[in-house]
Amino acid sequence: MNTIAQSIGGEAITTKLAMKMEDSLHAFAVRAACFIGELDMPYSEEFDGHDFGATHVIAYVGDEPVGTVRVRWFQSFAMPERLAVIQRFRGHNIGKMLLERCRKLAEGRGSNMLYIQALPGDVKYWEKQGWRRLVSEEASSGVKRIVAMVKAVDPSKPLPDVEAPESIVLGHEPQLDSTGLPRGTASN
Amino acid sequence: MAVQPPVGMANHPVVTIKLASTADELMQCYMLRAAVFMGEQACPYGEEFDGNDYTASHVIMYVDGEPAGSMRLRWFQSFCKFERCVVLRPFRGLGIHHEINAWCKEFARRKGYTKAYLHLQRRHMPMMEKEGFRRVDDRVFNFSDHEYYAVYCELEPVKGAVKLDTEPMVMNRPEDRMDALGILEKSAARGASNPHAPRPERRVN
Repeated sequence: MNTIAQSIGGEAITTKLAMKMEDSLHAFAVRAACFIGELDMPYSEEFDGHDFGATHVIAYVGDEPVGTVRVRWFQSFAMPERLAVIQRFRGHNIGKMLLERCRKLAEGRGSNMLYIQALPGDVKYWEKQGWRRLVSEEASSGVKRIVAMVKAVDPSKPLPDVEAPESIVLGHEPQLDSTGLPRGTASN
Repeated sequence: MAVQPPVGMANHPVVTIKLASTADELMQCYMLRAAVFMGEQACPYGEEFDGNDYTASHVIMYVDGEPAGSMRLRWFQSFCKFERCVVLRPFRGLGIHHEINAWCKEFARRKGYTKAYLHLQRRHMPMMEKEGFRRVDDRVFNFSDHEYYAVYCELEPVKGAVKLDTEPMVMNRPEDRMDALGILEKSAARGASNPHAPRPERRVN
């Protein structure tokens, strides 16, 4: 399943899907290092209850897990999220490799759209990578924490215009607390 | 109008410490270690998760319900080894590492240990001296990009520590709650019906 694309210091960079317990721990540890360790996210927000309904892709340099992304599946799109690359391995397009793996995975499942939620400061970067805002800049108002963006799974088949409300999938899935908050945060 | 906390209680964090006894709690310990050692100290995954996690006890510390710190304990014949102690960055400066250390010392005492031992990053020596740790010898060694001392601390023997003559059903209790009835003591009420045996040999209570 591994696809060798390039290498760092003679060690091959490979990606694979998490299939065993230990693989999942690789993915989770990379996210903990980046989101909890570097960005001070609370544990309960990082591990939000969606990890066991999702597909995890992991990038390795040799045997070392260095990057990960999680894909959640919906009928009308696939949603890559929690993209993380360990700090000292950044600058080698590992994030791009992970997203390409997500795209292929979505293609294999017959999905035709990828959906992400980007930080406003990153929108320009994603636009250069071929993503576009789901809601046009003019239509969106106020200060927003995230920007919904979409991209066609098959670049040769551009997406039809999607008329979707901004609130798409922002609600939480029912396994969470009745308050809508990730489990464990409601009591704080 | 919002209810005001009592004077002196404002912003007082509630710290809870327990033995990691479920897969979720163990996962919390691992993720805190990944955050601190892999995220902040650039430790490779294979060194952080070194093969000893499934022969150790993990302790998890919460601040207001949020996972904030963790410790791994390994058990040798003559001492308990404290390892992989972390407090997440947003929770530092509250002095809560003293609380997890104290909890682990007490836990080791209840298991009958009279020595705690650990490998201490050199820079943390002043902090741990305050906790009664001193160097085993003059050796300085390094692994995972840090310099370490071997340090230890005597633990006062405690009455009620587990010994050969401890009540067997007390020994079976969850190790961090040895003063309370355990699940197996409740099961004793069912009697010994020997469900493994062929039907005619089973006992009816």
